[in-house]
Amino acid sequence: MGGDHGSSEAVKAAATLSLERPDLHVILVGDVPELSPVLDELRYDPSRISFRHTPQWVHPDQSPKDALRERPEASIFVACSLVAEGEADAVVTSGSTGAAILAAAERLGRIPGVRRCALAAVTPTEQLHGPHGDPFALLLDVGATLDVTARDLVVFAIMGAAYSAAISGNERPRVALLSNGAEPHKGPREVVEAHRMLKESVDLDFVGNVEGLDIPKGTVDVVVTGGFLGNVILKMLEGFGAVISDLAADAYARKFLWRLGLTMLSSGLKQIQTVMDWEQYGGAPILGFAQPIIKAHGRSRSRAIANACRVAAKAARSEMVATVQRAVADLPEEVA
Amino acid sequence: MTALGWRHVYRWDLDKTYLDTHFESLRKLARIPFESPEEKVNIPGSAALLRELCADKPEEPPARVAIVSGSPTQMRRVLEKKLRMDGVVWHEFHLKPQWENIKRGRFRAMRNQVGYKLPLLLRSRAELGQAVPETLFGDDAEADAFIYSLYADLIADRIELGMLRKVLTRAGAYDEEVEESIGHLAHIDRADSVETIFVHLDKRTPPSRFRMFGPRLVPVYNYFQAALVLFSRRHFGSEGVVRVTRAFLEADGAGPDELANLFQDIVRRGHLPEPAMHRLGESMQARRDVAGEQEVIRKCIQRFGALGPARAYRPPAPPANADYLAMWDRFKARP
Repeated sequence: MGGDHGSSEAVKAAATLSLERPDLHVILVGDVPELSPVLDELRYDPSRISFRHTPQWVHPDQSPKDALRERPEASIFVACSLVAEGEADAVVTSGSTGAAILAAAERLGRIPGVRRCALAAVTPTEQLHGPHGDPFALLLDVGATLDVTARDLVVFAIMGAAYSAAISGNERPRVALLSNGAEPHKGPREVVEAHRMLKESVDLDFVGNVEGLDIPKGTVDVVVTGGFLGNVILKMLEGFGAVISDLAADAYARKFLWRLGLTMLSSGLKQIQTVMDWEQYGGAPILGFAQPIIKAHGRSRSRAIANACRVAAKAARSEMVATVQRAVADLPEEVA
Repeated sequence: MTALGWRHVYRWDLDKTYLDTHFESLRKLARIPFESPEEKVNIPGSAALLRELCADKPEEPPARVAIVSGSPTQMRRVLEKKLRMDGVVWHEFHLKPQWENIKRGRFRAMRNQVGYKLPLLLRSRAELGQAVPETLFGDDAEADAFIYSLYADLIADRIELGMLRKVLTRAGAYDEEVEESIGHLAHIDRADSVETIFVHLDKRTPPSRFRMFGPRLVPVYNYFQAALVLFSRRHFGSEGVVRVTRAFLEADGAGPDELANLFQDIVRRGHLPEPAMHRLGESMQARRDVAGEQEVIRKCIQRFGALGPARAYRPPAPPANADYLAMWDRFKARP
């Protein structure tokens, strides 16, 4: 539960899913007396929804470590426990990323060989990817691990490729490191070192370095970077989407000719808007944990949360974690 | 009436309450008259529940089943055969005289439910001649919640005749239907007899839309939920819950998790008291022959614990403010 718009958005998402996805069962973890009246205002199928009460939650301003100590029954910890105990198959949260990572580390445990986890987001691209022609590539890490080592980047590359294979059916995705130039020696020390390891010791379709402009072009299927840079890029892409939309609305309002032009382009613009719409991509899996955990955007409304739940269901059904686990188990000696 | 009278009256609507009838499209509507009894489909658990309610109880008078349906009288043969196939016994069966309405040019009456059902309910009550407790079953497709609540408060003498006239007129009833209702009311011993009104949420109308009718009205998503409430009010014992649960497990494809979620939902909405749950749990634990049903109860107990403090029971009660004129406006204004 949580997120910028409060827990009611999660309740709305659960109600929508209960009617649209009879194969899913959503457990709402949170303050039931607060959540319950929200559900009663909605159309829903009660056979697909249940509640698990906990009055505690992690405040956005609270440090995750303090939260774990002071609020061990906070909703994210309880949700992770339900998955760990086999009561649920995946966790979805739009609350604090730090708390989600800490809760997952504590209750779900890491995949053997993974020291740091990575948040893997999809970003819209010009080129299509995989056997289904997906209009997006995977970018990781986008905020889970801010300071990364070369080893972390290599593990992220392996996990990202395994995730892409499990979810998109892209058996041998093209993987690249994000840097400030295509040459192997370009970039900070950890990127240069990771480049060498990926080239020499890891069995991946590693194409080398790509630059920022390659992300929207979609020249590769998986782009690997550290959490700090990844997060900045992700937010910037979201910002571009919003600005383009605002500029178009402004132009529409200003001049008749522009309005006419935009009307003529409307179907194309709608297509661009759809591709840029982050809400349709739902949530980002936090890779590296022994069970699926999906982080939805903090600004998520019910639609985005519902889509994050769909991603979670897909991750659980596709045995995404087992695929990542198998990939990481084959870590080369140098990296292990 | 039997020599001993009746222990309880169960009033049922048919379409979307007992039968899973679809008249959302013209094509489906056109098919209904040609369906055989074998083609009629029950709302899950409806037949099993109705059988439990009208089952004989030793040393108690029988239960009375009264059916008031908006289906046309021409459907009587098919519907009666369907009920007999389901093992249901009934004592009254009213169908809408649609052909009569057409012949008399009463076209408004063809769609109007309030002017049709309320006089029938009052007439049936007047003919009973005694203040028997009642439980009513309807759905969210038409105005059952409103009609049943109005009926309950009329026979409890909570509504003045002037208000009744205004309400019926506002609801589109003909003058003769208004006068007929008032006439029947004069022959009724006023008593607070309606115990519970169940509204089957066929259209999945949000439960909050029925809050205006008070906790006497219980919106239910299926008859497993209704069976739990009726068990808590001692209409039947744990055997009855077992049989209704079995109908869901065997015939309707519901699993223990789905039923446990439905259980949690009805508790969360305040319609099931905690002691009843314990009573059911204890009686089920003692049995060895109902493994499937025990699994459902075990999961129900789990879900009960998971609710935390959100399980405050709201005993059945009429609406706090029975201004039915305002309630009709609010009810009709629902999206």
